[in-house]
Amino acid sequence: MSEPLLEVKHLCKYFNTSGGVLHAVDDVSFAIEKGKTLGVVGESGCGKSTTGRAILRLHEPTSGEVLFEGNDITKYSMKQMREMRKDMQIVFQDPFASLNPRKTVSEIIAEPFRLHRTLTNKTEREGRVLELMETVGLAARLVNSYPHELDGGRRQRIGIARALAMNPKFVVCDEPVSALDVSIQAQILNLLKQLQEERGLTYIFITHDLSVVNYFSDEIVVMYLGKIVEYTSAEQLFAHPVHPYTKALLSAIPVPRVDAKKERILLKGEITSPINPKPGCRFAPRCEYAKPECFEKSPELRETEKGHKVSCHFAEQF
Amino acid sequence: MEEKKYALKIKDLVVQYKTDDGVVEAVNGIDLMIEQGKTMGLVGETGAGKTTTALSVLRLIPEPPGKIIRGSIELEGKNVFEYSEKEMEKIRGNAVSMIFQDPMTSLNPVMTVGDQIAEVIELHEKVDKKSAMEKAKEMLEMVGIPGNRANEYPHQFSGGMKQRVVIAMALVCNPGFLIADEPTTALDVTIQAQVLDLMAKLRQKYNTSTLMITHDLGIVAEVCDHVAIMYAGNIVESGSLRDIFENTAHPYTEGLFGSLPDIEKRTEKLKPIPGLMPDPTNLPKGCPFHPRCKYCQDICKTRVPVKTSVSDTHAVSCLAYEEGTGVVLGGAK
Repeated sequence: MSEPLLEVKHLCKYFNTSGGVLHAVDDVSFAIEKGKTLGVVGESGCGKSTTGRAILRLHEPTSGEVLFEGNDITKYSMKQMREMRKDMQIVFQDPFASLNPRKTVSEIIAEPFRLHRTLTNKTEREGRVLELMETVGLAARLVNSYPHELDGGRRQRIGIARALAMNPKFVVCDEPVSALDVSIQAQILNLLKQLQEERGLTYIFITHDLSVVNYFSDEIVVMYLGKIVEYTSAEQLFAHPVHPYTKALLSAIPVPRVDAKKERILLKGEITSPINPKPGCRFAPRCEYAKPECFEKSPELRETEKGHKVSCHFAEQF
Repeated sequence: MEEKKYALKIKDLVVQYKTDDGVVEAVNGIDLMIEQGKTMGLVGETGAGKTTTALSVLRLIPEPPGKIIRGSIELEGKNVFEYSEKEMEKIRGNAVSMIFQDPMTSLNPVMTVGDQIAEVIELHEKVDKKSAMEKAKEMLEMVGIPGNRANEYPHQFSGGMKQRVVIAMALVCNPGFLIADEPTTALDVTIQAQVLDLMAKLRQKYNTSTLMITHDLGIVAEVCDHVAIMYAGNIVESGSLRDIFENTAHPYTEGLFGSLPDIEKRTEKLKPIPGLMPDPTNLPKGCPFHPRCKYCQDICKTRVPVKTSVSDTHAVSCLAYEEGTGVVLGGAK
């Protein structure tokens, strides 16, 4: 096994709220090899976006380590971090909110050059912007357009071009296609995949859409209320899910095929509050197999078979 | 054979919006029939005209800028355009109801959910406030919310629960016809499963006919009997669930399926539809899909396709299915 490009160890991110401490990300650990994609899936409020942002220190982690090429970047000064961000980029979910409406396409894509004080020569910079636009499939004539003049798919392409401007090694894709129509969604997914093949990019792909994550990822982390409940390869996860939450999640996906009717596991109730969580398994209140023990002791994420980690006291019984 | 009864018959409906940028041709002469007790899926992407079609049925198109240019909509045998505004008010929420996409904006934030449901009952049935509230509570229980939460406000509920409240409100007067506009799009997948399950149960119980608007072909496969695929204000293909999924006829429908990652074959590369939806103020001549169609021939750029039957249940608007056009779909025929 090659060295991981990124390794996250016991990452925690808590927020203080008026109601108590919100455990958005609680003891999350994983590793990604160079050139691979780690999918992070889960429903609203499971902490997947916070995880992505904490890795880039857009939210300062409460505790834990983020090792990028072996160095713990959580200890970096702001100046070192700025340098680091050339290698670590993010594509945001909402292409309507993540682009400055008062800047043109070329200004937005050139922003990283300004920030990092590179490519100060105007002709060179403009040339590079056009090159990036071509890479992501934006017509050169749009160079002086404003974001509001463009549709969601094109805006997302701008966001991708901006993320690629400094030739990063690692990109966090935070729900990059969720706001887009299916035909456009497929275009963007293919673009991201092609860029990965051409540039050897390493991705964290955050999404709530399980078919998309399956298509895109090598390994997948399933999160529930700030914790990883299952962590394994994409093939393994879809073929042999173990955790009751993963099973319910997979069974809930509507499959676009006639006669695809399958056994559906309907979960009781809704996600509980992540504020001052009680001890015990966070999924226990909705789990049909929950035993008294599940409400007392929090399960560790442990390897049940090679390359398959599950956080459940009774994983072996499923 | 028993004659089929239709809950809804839309004939040659044309709806436009007049804006400063020109005339938006939102719906361009569609025909749509829904059998009594069945669910029709209306599928398409943003701007295809799905919601405009639904709002026309309820006569909720804002006029101006919207205008129904021509066509008829028969709801249980009567043309809705012949009703007076007052009669229409009686029909909405009673004979026909709508579940809107976004439960956060379709509930009144300063009214308790119980009052909001009771309001519908008081409007349509001759009951006093107290028994209306009783019925509202029963309805809440039916959608899985404890009746004692009727005195709470929408912000006290989660997204999934708010959508249940909206469903309770839509179904409380037992409508014969229900329009559900992307009812689960704003919800998480496990909550979506709960809501779809609930809707299926209620549909069975009351034999409600439904128009299900969605962009999710997975949901269509799960809940619909018939499907209509909409593109740029036209229904480009319609048929039974099996017709659409197993005998896909229109290149756009084929493109939609090609854009979906297959959960069982993960390595397969996606085959997206190139290009973008056309600008509805400036629709292409000929077949509206031709600029994005991989089978496009010269004739497609000028001649407008007409609805052609593929089988008794299956119709498509594509020149490849019309005689003597010379258009051939690769591999499909």
